[in-house]
Amino acid sequence: MTTIQFGLMIRGQFPQEDDMQQRFAECMEMVRHADRLGFACITKGSHYAGYPLQDIQQLPFLTRAMVEGPNLRLNAGIILLSLHKPLDLAEQLASIDVMSGGRLIFGAALGYREVEFLGFGTTQRDRVQRFEENLAAIKRLWGENDVNMVGSHFQLKDASTSIKPVQKPHPPIWIGANADPAIRRAAKVGDCWYVNPHNRIGTILKQTEIYKRALDEYDRPFPEEFPIRREVFVAKTREEALRLCAPYLATKYKVYHQWGQDKVMPEGDNDLSLEFDDLAHDRFLIGSPDEVADECIRLHRETGVNHIIASMQWPGMDYRITMDAMQLLSEEVFPKVNQAV
Amino acid sequence: MGKMKYGIGMRTQYAAGTDMHVAFNEQMEQARLAEKLGFNSLMKSSHLAGHPLQEFQQVPFLGRVMAEAPSLRLITGVVLLSLHKPLDMAEQLATIDVMSGGRLTFGAGLGYREVEFKAFGTTSKERVKRFEENLIAINRLWTEEKVSMSGSHFELDDAALSLKPAQKPTPPVWIGANADAAIVRAAKMADAWFVNPHQKLETIERQAELYKRALDQAGKPFPDDLPGCREIFVGNSRTEAIEAAKPFLAAKYKVYHQWGQDEDMPDDDNDLSLDYDELLEDRFMLGSPEEIAEQIIAHNKRVGINHLILNFHWVGMPQALCLESMTRFAEEVRPLVEQGL
Repeated sequence: MTTIQFGLMIRGQFPQEDDMQQRFAECMEMVRHADRLGFACITKGSHYAGYPLQDIQQLPFLTRAMVEGPNLRLNAGIILLSLHKPLDLAEQLASIDVMSGGRLIFGAALGYREVEFLGFGTTQRDRVQRFEENLAAIKRLWGENDVNMVGSHFQLKDASTSIKPVQKPHPPIWIGANADPAIRRAAKVGDCWYVNPHNRIGTILKQTEIYKRALDEYDRPFPEEFPIRREVFVAKTREEALRLCAPYLATKYKVYHQWGQDKVMPEGDNDLSLEFDDLAHDRFLIGSPDEVADECIRLHRETGVNHIIASMQWPGMDYRITMDAMQLLSEEVFPKVNQAV
Repeated sequence: MGKMKYGIGMRTQYAAGTDMHVAFNEQMEQARLAEKLGFNSLMKSSHLAGHPLQEFQQVPFLGRVMAEAPSLRLITGVVLLSLHKPLDMAEQLATIDVMSGGRLTFGAGLGYREVEFKAFGTTSKERVKRFEENLIAINRLWTEEKVSMSGSHFELDDAALSLKPAQKPTPPVWIGANADAAIVRAAKMADAWFVNPHQKLETIERQAELYKRALDQAGKPFPDDLPGCREIFVGNSRTEAIEAAKPFLAAKYKVYHQWGQDEDMPDDDNDLSLDYDELLEDRFMLGSPEEIAEQIIAHNKRVGINHLILNFHWVGMPQALCLESMTRFAEEVRPLVEQGL
């Protein structure tokens, strides 16, 4: 029998005027709540220079959160891999994996914001090359000692990391991808494609076919764990769910549009500036427990995804509303979904 | 000059083959003991590709250990600042500061290992330039709303941080410096010179004069907090302490020498390959509680150090021995120092 796992995405993004120590404490409360409610993981994203949104940095956040959620896997979902130096990440991620007792998930994707590329001394143009060489280098550093490798922006000379991850051969590598070439890359070099939250289900269906064909081409099996991130919200009724979350979710997607997130999405599904109802249709999982459960089951049946990372809080939204929705999700949606599959 | 403050140094270094899960638990135990014994701070060092030594990475470790020691200040001793991108460091450190409720002290240094420079796409030749521009950029990112700055290896284009530190205007900035030129830089650019553990007290005394002159030239006062770092073992007598520490401390300094740490030290005190018995003179605090108290008072009176970070643990040292030394320090040495000052 299949088990569908549910993870919690903690965005950690807040408006400029918010007290971040307070917000951080609330995030830790959500982590404890997720742990108690049987979520499978917490996920934290990464951005730099995120103004006007305030954001807590991904890796330190996960290291602090591991204490509050001792049963939760820790998903660095996703690391903007093109920005970094592979030795730095290989070492930091190994530390996190060892300190947590082997709970890290290594999510990775390209990134799309110019201010970030520039801040890290790189450019949009170099991002694919850097992504690929960084990933190759990290895998080598985790698997061997005395690594010698000349990259376009680094050199490894007889380099051996201080420690290796606990998980063998390494923490699972989830590759986030919006566009078709990136999905093929995920098939080639990742443990799985980590489906993003922005695409409509119709697009995902098409892209899953691309993914499967690429897996065949690269002679790799369909992944045991096939994760997807979705914007999720549940309340007693659909109307109540919409009333509680729509204003915040709409604002978030306006910011994505400003940041150019939709420029990297495929033709036919790359306009995040649409009106909310239009935007939500077939994209967000919002409704009553039955409705959300049905959508999850549909997603699983049609695409094969079996780990749903739920984003349930958006900037400006009171965390207690999210905590209630998390509870309802756990008590009513988790069992409904798992009974049906 | 204020009361004497004490921190524990946490290099978290273990021999190859050590179970790092066990090592992790030992380090958390040391942090909890430091909290219980009323230490003021803890310090985490940084190295990458340190094999065969195993160690945890600096920022992830601080993110985790802060939960074990809620009263202790968290010191980066030191960030190898020349390696990194300022946008990255500014955000990582701001996160540590916010998550801890404003307990970060930002210690920074140059770094000296070729394998690290290469892996970060830089060279030893560039390290001073990168150090200075990185420090300036971080300070600007922390204190200004938006920053535009062209560095030799990064570009800040109207960049505004996702998160500012909790402490205003910034966390305290300490510069770790061995060589004379670096000490002058510390006077100009930092809140304090962070005295390293490698040098003899008589060398440090000479350098303190240099430091004071540089402060005068820069129009800056002598810092309220002058921090220093020392290797320490509290035993029943000097002979016993020297013998007890020898296996671990001698090995540590052999590695420093292999790594080239002494190449960065001043001409009058730059040989870490000396035999242990010669090496320890005027350099390591090894003795009975009375002898150590005298040495600490000497550091305070002759140099002005009033925040002493003490390295109780070295590679291979049994946990029980380390904990005992820490406890004896708190119970027997500390009161003697207070009486003597």
